[in-house]
This record gives sequence, C-alpha cells and structure tokens, in this order.
Amino acid sequence: MAREVISSGNDLAAQAAVDSGCMFFGGYPITPSSEVMHTISDLLPKVGGACIQMEDEIGGICAAIGASMSGVRAMTATSGPGMSLKAENLGLAQMAEVPLVVVDVMRGGPSTGLPTRVSQGDVAQAKNPSHGDYKSITVCAGNLEECYTETVRAFNLADRFMQPVIVLLDETIGHMHGKAILPDLEEVQAGIKPRKTFDGPAEEYRPYGVAQDEPAVLNPMFKGYRYHFTGLHHDAMGFPTEEIETCRKLIDRLFRKVDEHRDELEYNEEYMLDDADILLVGYGSASLAIKEAIHRLREEGIKAGMFRPITIWPSPEERLYELGQKFDKILSVELNQGQYLEEIQRAMGRKDIQKLTKTNGRPFSPQDIIDKVKEVF
Amino acid sequence: MSRIVMRFTGVGGQGVLLAGEIFAAAKIKMGGYGVKTATYTSQVRGGPTVVDIQLDDKEIYYPYAIDGQIDFMLSVADKSYQLFKDGVAEGGIIVIDPNLVYPTEDDRKKWRIVEIPIITIAKEEVGNVITQSVVALAIANTFMNAIPEDVLIETMLSKVPKKVHEANLKAYELGKKYALEAMKKQGIEPRKND
Repeated sequence: MAREVISSGNDLAAQAAVDSGCMFFGGYPITPSSEVMHTISDLLPKVGGACIQMEDEIGGICAAIGASMSGVRAMTATSGPGMSLKAENLGLAQMAEVPLVVVDVMRGGPSTGLPTRVSQGDVAQAKNPSHGDYKSITVCAGNLEECYTETVRAFNLADRFMQPVIVLLDETIGHMHGKAILPDLEEVQAGIKPRKTFDGPAEEYRPYGVAQDEPAVLNPMFKGYRYHFTGLHHDAMGFPTEEIETCRKLIDRLFRKVDEHRDELEYNEEYMLDDADILLVGYGSASLAIKEAIHRLREEGIKAGMFRPITIWPSPEERLYELGQKFDKILSVELNQGQYLEEIQRAMGRKDIQKLTKTNGRPFSPQDIIDKVKEVF
Repeated sequence: MSRIVMRFTGVGGQGVLLAGEIFAAAKIKMGGYGVKTATYTSQVRGGPTVVDIQLDDKEIYYPYAIDGQIDFMLSVADKSYQLFKDGVAEGGIIVIDPNLVYPTEDDRKKWRIVEIPIITIAKEEVGNVITQSVVALAIANTFMNAIPEDVLIETMLSKVPKKVHEANLKAYELGKKYALEAMKKQGIEPRKND
C-alpha cells in the first residue's frame, strides 16, 4: 500500500529521515533548506530523537558526526554556503568513515549568491567538497517522491559504505508543494539496512582492518569496543601513522569500497528513450521542464527522450558511454555553466555534446528547451 | 477538466502562500493533481512574492505557471502586479485591490481587471487582516469554479487553527459575495469546466 501525501520537497526529506530511523539532526537553518530543519525539529522529539541548532553550519555537521559515532543515524541539511562551511568536516567523515546524510538544497552561488533562487551549481562541489582523495556518493532528487525515497536510500547507502551521502535537492524541488506517492512506512522500515557491527571479543576489534573493497566497521562508541578516531592517515585501530603501505592502502580502499560496488549505487531514469532521435541529459528540477518539453516536442513529431542520473556521483559512466554511442544528437541541460557536462563528455568520450545552461536564478521553462532543441538539431 | 492556472501576487509577509496550498490540497483530495510553487526574494518582508497554482486531472510535470497561459491572477501589491502581470493570457481575469494596485489604461484593455478591496474586507468586515488569503481564495474560486465549494472550505478549515474557523468562514462568504457582485457588474461568467 502506497501513501498519498500533500507536501513539499523539504518536508518530505525530513519525513523520510525520521521514517528511516534517523534520531539526530544537527544543523543551522539556511534558505532554501530551512524547512528540512524546521520540520525535523518537530518530528524527532516525538520519536525520542533530538534536533539541535548549533552556532553555525560547521557546528551542525560536527554534532551530526558525533551523534553518528554513537551509533545512531544522523543528518544535517543546508544550502551551498553551508556546504562550503561543512566541507572540512565532510572530509573528516570521509577519512574516518562516519556515515551521515547531508541534504543540500541548492540555490544560486557562488558565495551567498541568490538565496531564494534555484540553481544546480553545487553539483561539482558535491563530487569533492573537501580536499584530498575520496569517492563522493551523491544522489539527486528529480521530483517530490524522490525527495523522500532518495533520502531513505541515502541513509542505507551511508550505513553500507560508511561515509557521508549527499542528497541534492534544489530550491524548486525543495519548495514545490503538491502530491507525492510514498512507499508504505512498513516497507521503508523493513528496508532499513543498519551499519555492520563487530560482535567478537573487544581485543580482536580492528575497525579499519577490513578487506580492500570494504568500508570500516565502526561499532558505536562507549560500548566497550575502543578505537581511535582521527582525520590523519591511520592504521587498523585508527591510530595515526605515516607507514608507507598503510597510507597507500587506506586511500586505495576509500576508492575501491565505492568503485567496486557501483552496481549497488547506480540508479537512473530513462524517459521515452526507446524510440528517441534526440537525447536530453538532465537531473534534478531541470528534468521537470525537460519532461514537459519532450511531450510538446513529440506533439510536433520531434522524438526526444531523457536520460536522468539519480545517483550522480559516482556517475553512471558506462551507461553514458553506451548512450553516447547510440545517439548522435545529445543536449545536456543543467542550471549551472555545465558542471555535469564535463562528466558527460568524459564518460561518452565526446566533445560534441550540445549544452543548455542557465545561472540567473530562474528555472528553465519547457520553451527554453524546445527552442534550444530546434536551434541546434 | 482542462488545466487551470492561477497566480497570486503580493509582498512577503502578506500570506499569499496559503491560498495556493489550499487549492492544491483540495484538488489532490479530489483525486486530481495540484502543484503550488512560490517565488520570493531574499527580503524577509516587503519583497515581491508570486505563487503559481496549477490544477489538472492529468499529471503536471513542470511546476511553474507558463507566462501567457495564466487564466487568473490576483494581486494585492502594485510592485508585484507590475512585475508579474505579463504572465496573464490576453483577456484573462486580474483581480486587484484598488487601494494598493494601479493598473494602466492599456492594462484594462488587455485584461479583464476587477477591483475588489480585499485587504479592507479582511481588515474591516471580517476584523482580521490575516483572513485576506481566504478572501482571496473565495474570490479566485468564484471566478474560476476550480473546486467544489464544500471541498475547498473543508480543506481551508483543515489548514487554519480552530479558533479562527469562524472568522475564516466569514472571510470566505464575503470574498464570494464581492466576487459575485463584481462579476455581475462586469458581465463575467464563472469559468465553465468540462
């Protein structure tokens, strides 16, 4: 049984977190993400959880990291300027392998930019928010339902891969208000896959001593399983080390734990692609205008279809390559100057991808896309 | 029913968002699709605000109203009126508060402009300025015939605190009364929905 609700994207992300068993939110409100915190501050105490407004975005993510280390599912939410502030601690969570869900409701940037206006300008940042080498996992909701389902999935991925998972929404999706069909609560709860724990003798516990394609196994703090927590390169017990082979293997593992399990991550939508002559590639709220444009183009006999990555990092590079071989006419549509276009070009091995971009804080209209398709093809 | 596209405009803090949510929720309750989007500025109060509402029996992909396809607009602030009026289809209905919005003569030729003192009604006749969003809701629905009145009122009451139910019911009745009077005076029929 599915649930029909009337809600907004931000509220749905908050609801999804609580339904997924999230027990802690640490954050600092910022437009256009504030409703996530507003709503979860109401929901969490009712299930015995806690929401705390910290002194700033940095404090917000630090509190969430701490909560996660105690073994509970934790979350923070913000917008672009907050992502910049959280960057250092996103790196810490990558290095120490702390699961966490970070919702980023994108607005115009750089800097404080356009606080109330839509953008997809944080896509490149989501790939590498902090310095250093690691593999980001980022999902991007393209409609109201996915604000819920992708947040649910993000919590499971965070616990599976033991690292932060970024959920990208944008101002349009976060604030739009309408009907959403959600999976049943029992189904969501039955699908919760908690992080692994080590149940053997405490003296044998080696949190970072795992197979080269697997994440760390971090038992909750204060339960008798001791380990050291650091952002420095570390050994199997978490203690800092500069030993050559240990350092090499650590970063190699941070990559391989994601790269070698891409099949667990990849998730795309292919919309009216089967008989299409023109391929439109887009994600997030841009896909709403793309869908409308596809319908109108088809009324005129122009067969367009859409490929929409939902897991955007790591990118669906093999599928993109196949589509690059199959389609001659390809248009990338995104609300930035072409941040994902570079990834599409790389994955397809082609430089002749057409692009439609916008960075004035306004959404694409379906007509923008129709005009561009007619202009370039 | 073919798609109904409405736009409510005002300035931040006036509460124009609520009417949009009520319309969308009522349409969804009836098994259809309703989407509300709001655009506002970073000014907390006083910045131009626009709420787009689309109601349809079929799925709505794109959440914003498309300029030139808006059937009905209601405006309670001149700067928002001037910014957003061009989205209204030629011959479309624009309800304005004449104390706050000043259309040009050209505007009156291009659109059917209806003057209803929305804020004054809420402030003086209902006795609570916040009820203006429900006055606006009633006006919009009387012109557009978008949602059966009982469903809309029921939805509206579910979204406002109980202690102001009576005031909001009064606001709805007054909005409807003023709308009917204006329609009669200007010879405007309620929209026919197939």
